[in-house]
Amino acid sequence: MKLPPFTSSRPLTLGVELELQLVNTYDYDLVDSTTDLLRLLKKKGKDWDVKPEITQGMVEMATGICVSHADVFEQLDEIRQGIVECADRLDIGVCGGGTHAFQHWSERRIYDTPRFDQLSSLYGYLAKQFTIFGQHVHVGCDNADEALTLLHLLSGFIPHFIALSASSPFVQGNDTGFHSARLNSVFSFPLSGRAPLIETWDSFGEYFESMMATGIVKSMKDFYWDIRPKPEYGTIEVRVMDTPLTIEKAAQIAAFIQSLTRYLTLERPYAPRETDYLVYTFNRFQACRFGYEGVYVNPRNHEHRSLSEEILETLNKIEPHAIALKADGACAALRREVSNANSDVGWLRQQHAQTKSLAEVVQRQCARWRA
Amino acid sequence: MMGHTQWLFFMRIALSFLLASLAGEGVCRLVKMPRITGYALAGLLLGPLGLDWVDGDDLPDFRFLVELTLTLLLFELGVRVSLRWLKYNPWVIASSLLESVATFIAVFGVLMGTGSEVKSALSIAVIAMGTSPVIVLRMVTEMRAQGQVTQRLLVLCGLNTVYSVVCFYLIMGWFQGAFHGQWFMALFHSFYLLVGSLGMGLVLALSFKLLRRMFELSDEQSAPVLFGLLLLLQALLVALELPVFLAPLLGGVLAKHFDPRPHLWPRHFGTAGSILTIILFMMTGSLLTRNAFVVGVGTAMIVVLARFVAKGLGVLLLGPVSGLNLRQSLVLGVALIPMAEIPLVELMDMRALYPQMGVRILPIVFSMMNVLEIVGPMAVQWGLIRSQEFQEKSS
Repeated sequence: MKLPPFTSSRPLTLGVELELQLVNTYDYDLVDSTTDLLRLLKKKGKDWDVKPEITQGMVEMATGICVSHADVFEQLDEIRQGIVECADRLDIGVCGGGTHAFQHWSERRIYDTPRFDQLSSLYGYLAKQFTIFGQHVHVGCDNADEALTLLHLLSGFIPHFIALSASSPFVQGNDTGFHSARLNSVFSFPLSGRAPLIETWDSFGEYFESMMATGIVKSMKDFYWDIRPKPEYGTIEVRVMDTPLTIEKAAQIAAFIQSLTRYLTLERPYAPRETDYLVYTFNRFQACRFGYEGVYVNPRNHEHRSLSEEILETLNKIEPHAIALKADGACAALRREVSNANSDVGWLRQQHAQTKSLAEVVQRQCARWRA
Repeated sequence: MMGHTQWLFFMRIALSFLLASLAGEGVCRLVKMPRITGYALAGLLLGPLGLDWVDGDDLPDFRFLVELTLTLLLFELGVRVSLRWLKYNPWVIASSLLESVATFIAVFGVLMGTGSEVKSALSIAVIAMGTSPVIVLRMVTEMRAQGQVTQRLLVLCGLNTVYSVVCFYLIMGWFQGAFHGQWFMALFHSFYLLVGSLGMGLVLALSFKLLRRMFELSDEQSAPVLFGLLLLLQALLVALELPVFLAPLLGGVLAKHFDPRPHLWPRHFGTAGSILTIILFMMTGSLLTRNAFVVGVGTAMIVVLARFVAKGLGVLLLGPVSGLNLRQSLVLGVALIPMAEIPLVELMDMRALYPQMGVRILPIVFSMMNVLEIVGPMAVQWGLIRSQEFQEKSS
């Protein structure tokens, strides 16, 4: 298979995907009910995009093409309600969060499709460890070269996305001390990390073909990059976020990415260069580990500052663009969160401190997801 | 002081218990059948049909343990019945009512057709409605099953147990009225039993919630407290002459409703539960005398078949509208086969009250119960494997 041509799409349009947890309502462990939920959703006869994910107990919902924050929120809200109604009929709970707090990976069951079976046999236990829940945001681009440039410009903001969305402190029944422990599971995949710095679609095609020739990859899907192009949609897809605990937050993060993209496209403050990536994994680790408190190293002037300072400054810079996109309300909400040091992770740890029970934390996550 | 006979009795029971538990392991490892099928087989072997080490006369000595087993299990089952769910998905109640009514009609019809008299047919039909909480819960726990079939199996089992026990008491009230000509008293008594059970269930649920909140008990810490409460409940039920089985079940349902937080305590009772199950199965085996078997087994097999067809069709008909697919509905019907041991104690009481009726129905019921203790666990196992809802043991 060759690299497909890059379909042009309207710049700054958005598409949001959220991977969700399905849990039972008596001990709040993950439950193998994906098939049942999809069957019920299908009967509703709506054209909602809800798909299975690699293991039973996961489900992915996605919006169509959205133009604004309000649009994203409305679409997410409608699908959420549909899913919650069907889940109620099955006596299961649905919630956000990047990891399930206490599920055991060995108890997961691979969702039966040829692709998932193949992944499972290739990656072994990693496939089951991949029972993690992310938010993906697609941003539309009108041409391929622009898309690749944008990809590398946005790479500098990966720590921002991670800290804002982080919601996975608990893994396999323990507090990891991380804000996003989910990404640690992604990093164990051989083709994870950053895309190579290539800014034309032709050169990218050559890179892709030489990778294919090695037999390592068969399609774009085999790259588990933090941001990757999706030529079929004409988008680049930001994939580092945890699924937040609410769709409000998910929509806000999409709005933040949209405003940032407008800023980077119209103002083009700098061009991407390889040395930007010197600090990439350091910054990313700091964001995963410490959230807003993490250190952010500016690759251009080598200044060290806290990630919260950095995010607040970014929000200042993009404000006119947020206003132009009617995303300013969403960005203001994120600003309040960062200023007050509120985060989904903080909320999760607080619930755990109160209840001393991870099962109860999951129960409260479900209640938050509905509200 | 342990007298000579007590010592012998104790030894006999201890050896029987050991044998039953080993039989369970053996059956599980050699032929991959459920452990509890092994317990049931051992129960038969130890009973009057086999070695005659344990017999029905021992039952009074074990009544407390049998009741305790059922109290724990029924509370656990109740916790799995979510009233909220039944509100969101009323088709689950509809399919439960359909399968139970169909079972009642089918069994009653078959018995009348084979020449039983009305009262016996009614009693057996009412008992046949119930699915065994013991077998269902043990199998679900042992196979670590979870999913839609499992969830519905538990809920339908809980609901049909309620119908079965309630109808049993109503019918007993009616018999009593007809027997003594005191209709009002009989009806009033049935009413007292049912409302009293509901009230005690309510008291249990509320006090559990209150204690949990007052002492900020985590799930694990609450297990012994709950055990204490259930023991207390059992004592109160005996004192108030209320049925032992309805209150813990309703209490579980209400406890979950008032406090929808996770209930993990059944995990802490796991081992105790399996020990008590062995004792219970030894007792049912001990009730089946050679005479009862010869008299009852023919009719019992016909009733078992009619019951199976009725439950299967009932669930199959309404499964799809309640959110299952056809295969799941079919599997669920099969998994409902095990028959409740609940009336065991009540039946012993009834035998004391109406010896003639006891003679007519006990052989059939005891035969059914024993047959279904062997076949039932296998049916549930098959169902949970077919629906892919069991969890392989992680080593």
